Amino acid sequence: MELISAFVIATFTTPENVGVNPQSILWLLPLAGAIAVVYKATKVPKIKAVSFLKESLLLFGSIVVFMLVTALVLFALTWLITQ
Amino acid sequence: MAARSKDKHTVLLLTVGLLSWLVPGAGYYVLKEKKRAIIVFVTIVLTFCTGLYIGSIAVVNPQTSKLAYVAQIMNSPMVRFLGNSTVHGGYKVYGKPNEVGQIYTSISGLLNLLCIVNAVYLAHLRRTETAGD
Repeated sequence: MELISAFVIATFTTPENVGVNPQSILWLLPLAGAIAVVYKATKVPKIKAVSFLKESLLLFGSIVVFMLVTALVLFALTWLITQ
Repeated sequence: MAARSKDKHTVLLLTVGLLSWLVPGAGYYVLKEKKRAIIVFVTIVLTFCTGLYIGSIAVVNPQTSKLAYVAQIMNSPMVRFLGNSTVHGGYKVYGKPNEVGQIYTSISGLLNLLCIVNAVYLAHLRRTETAGD
């Protein structure tokens, strides 16, 4: 039991290794999911499992697509400037 | 009579707001919105804990990152204890883990602020609707 507690405390007192690479952008996905769920929880008048999930997924998808479009535009702009 | 009712209403709004800040989703629970309360609680706590897991408790630092701390404290006043532990315990984090951890913990705080405002507004609307009936 003490070992488990020590392990749990250790995970919150030492940072994880997050590399500076393109994969680190994937950390935005859980955050976008959380934003979509909480925002929809404040917006829908009555919470029903299926419709709530559908609406949250739609918002999550919209956020991800918008981020992708923004990334592509910025990438194109950088490419044009540096060429 | 009307003044007393208004006082009661103000107390209810304050209670809902304070409870929402103390425990994410508690304001909705008081308003008998249990599903909403559970969803908000689980999501906000998970997001905050993910931030702490990535960057350690050192991401909550009232001395070196004041702006992020303002957003983080919106999760719950209990975040203050984490801030004190970081300052007195000498925990440090730099670079990408710090960035990602701070973003997660700050965003969860701001999401809770949205829920606090929404819960208070919901409590206010219910009274207005009851008065209109």
